[in-house]
Amino acid sequence: MVVSLRSWVANEGGKHLVLMLWLGTNTWLFMKTFLLYSTGKQYHYLYKMLGLGLCISRASASVLNLNCSLVLLPMCRSLLTFVRGTHTVSSRKTRRLLDKSKTFHVACGVAICIFSVVHVSAHLVNVVNFSASYSDDFPALNLARYRGEDPKLIMLTTVPGVTGLLLVLILFLMFTSSSHYVRVSNYEIFWYTHNLFIIFYIILMVHMVGGALKYQTNLEAHPPGCLRANQSSTEQQGEELEQSEDEERRCREEAHFQPHCPQTWLWVSGPLCLYCAERLYRYIRSSDPVTIVTVIRHPCDVFELRMLKKNFKARPGQYIVLNCPHVSSFENHPFTLTTCPTENKATFGIHLRVVGDWTERFTQLLLPEQRMDLEILPMVQQRRYPKLYVDGPFGSPSEEVFNYDVSLCVAGGIGVTPFACVLHALLDGWAGFRLQRLYFVWVCRELQSFYWFAELLCAVHHKFWQENRPDYFNLKLYVSQPHNLQSMSEERYRPLTSRLLVGRPKWKLLFDEIAKTNQQKRVGVFCCGPKGISSTLHRLCNSSRFPGTTFEFNKESFS
Amino acid sequence: MGKIEWAMWANEQALASGLIYLTGGIVGVAGQFRGWQFAAFGVAAGVFVCLLEYPRSKRSKGTSVGRTGQYCFTVVVKAFGPLTRNYYVRAFIHAALCVPGGFMLATVLGCVCLGIASIIYLVAAIRGEHWEPILPRKPAQKPNVGSINKPPQNPPPRPPPETRRKRVEDLEGAAYDNAINVTADE
Repeated sequence: MVVSLRSWVANEGGKHLVLMLWLGTNTWLFMKTFLLYSTGKQYHYLYKMLGLGLCISRASASVLNLNCSLVLLPMCRSLLTFVRGTHTVSSRKTRRLLDKSKTFHVACGVAICIFSVVHVSAHLVNVVNFSASYSDDFPALNLARYRGEDPKLIMLTTVPGVTGLLLVLILFLMFTSSSHYVRVSNYEIFWYTHNLFIIFYIILMVHMVGGALKYQTNLEAHPPGCLRANQSSTEQQGEELEQSEDEERRCREEAHFQPHCPQTWLWVSGPLCLYCAERLYRYIRSSDPVTIVTVIRHPCDVFELRMLKKNFKARPGQYIVLNCPHVSSFENHPFTLTTCPTENKATFGIHLRVVGDWTERFTQLLLPEQRMDLEILPMVQQRRYPKLYVDGPFGSPSEEVFNYDVSLCVAGGIGVTPFACVLHALLDGWAGFRLQRLYFVWVCRELQSFYWFAELLCAVHHKFWQENRPDYFNLKLYVSQPHNLQSMSEERYRPLTSRLLVGRPKWKLLFDEIAKTNQQKRVGVFCCGPKGISSTLHRLCNSSRFPGTTFEFNKESFS
Repeated sequence: MGKIEWAMWANEQALASGLIYLTGGIVGVAGQFRGWQFAAFGVAAGVFVCLLEYPRSKRSKGTSVGRTGQYCFTVVVKAFGPLTRNYYVRAFIHAALCVPGGFMLATVLGCVCLGIASIIYLVAAIRGEHWEPILPRKPAQKPNVGSINKPPQNPPPRPPPETRRKRVEDLEGAAYDNAINVTADE
């Protein structure tokens, strides 16, 4: 498919700009430090002893400082949610960049690993050179105790050596357990090893203590290279040579060396304090347990949970993180809100699908009996619900649905939950938003899944027809598996059955239709579903099939 | 909560340590540093560990995704039978291979990382896990729904001919509902 420049810039331009800026900053920092150590006068003697290894190791160290401080910032989720919420501070382009915060975190992490490899290799060469070119002229400069000392011994008896080894080990553990496969199969391994980062940062801040690398302090009194001039001038007899020498080339005193003070804490302490403050804030905010009001069982292993919490405010599209100590003390699982608290109704709700062991155990605690029909248990009955803690709400890309003139929401299976909250908000009052038209496409494997939100969809449909805006809400439902097809026989779900199609959606035709009826507009495409659908939609948004209409792609992922 | 499959993590670690061991060995041999024979051993050991660890094991619960092109490695590793199935053997092999790396500076890191992987394999073996090859599935039997080339033999059910005949005097009453719903098939 041919890519259109305007669509590509609208969809990918911001991300690539940030990437270029980040790469440029890293390159500039690397070159600046490299040149400082290779041409700086105060490092002249050190450079002569260690060579290129000194410059490469220090340059990679400064890049590591930058990336270690940047890697924490995308993980301050409450801060990012706040930035997303204030429309005065950030424009829509900035908010779309916030969607990619996890990708930026991964990029900084990969950079840390690569530059750690460079840094460690260069320092290993330095250690060998410290041992081999032991300097008798400047004994203060040496790290080795005598010429030819075993490099392994140097490494294990100095603070930078030991801390460096520990840092590399922790980094190795964190890196090998964050591959996609481990995250998908055993998330706990990833989570517990990644939380070793705090030890990593503490050791990082003491890594430079001990002062292995020193710089010269008395440059005016002892210009580098002048010792040899003094020696050579004493060898030569002849006063004319002494007079022709410049004043600067005469050494007045011995070279004095001083170690650097550790600089890493300057870079790292700010983001680290910010992140720790954010974790503390989130812990305090979630320490109040919620009251479970209702539990409803839906077909296809989905449970709806309605809860109450004091001072809980959320916007449509946001998600919360649940923690149930009775099931597991340390596991936190994210769920998108399907109902937000409003002025009329203070409860908020989630729909959760039973997929893994945590959800299975949790739903067994909520509703122990296995009954086939719907079961609603109000709070009045004798029911001891487990204690539940809620952290959040956190922002997500689906909050932007209201900020486009025309939006297309594509949901796959349980991915409909962020859009369910959007529909509830429209039901409460649709006139105040910028949104003028909403296309809603929901693809499910089984027909029974549509019962999760059948009432909501019908209510929204009727509301818009009654308020004389029939073109506002355009619904298309698809059942992708044609085998064993039943039918929705209830009369009240007529708007759904007449919009139900069997088979997979034909995305090109759908986009053609939307482009033709919304010319010269920017359409926001929101996808929450399997990878196949989202990559097809992404490609279509970037293609040049639809001149005049720009499709901006926003993806929400659940993994 | 839940059963953690330690072998999966050990596999990722062992593959990464094999690569680190190999790189350290290459650097040691290329620079002809003191003790380069240990680095040469590191190269061989690194290659062996990478080849052994490349094919992923099948998960006991859930879908397993193999690494790209791992089928030929799976066949070779499977051929060794109980030697590669058992994780105690693997833990012992890794522990034995990592020891010579500790004697040379360039391979020290590979030695430590492989040692950690060996410990995790020991934990996996104690928990009773073992290696299962991921083999390609046989294609599922397609349900026999009938070919598009064979048209139906019988006509669709219709009401009896009396009601079907057009009655000029009572056009309203001549209308009948189809027994089966007709929906547009897109």
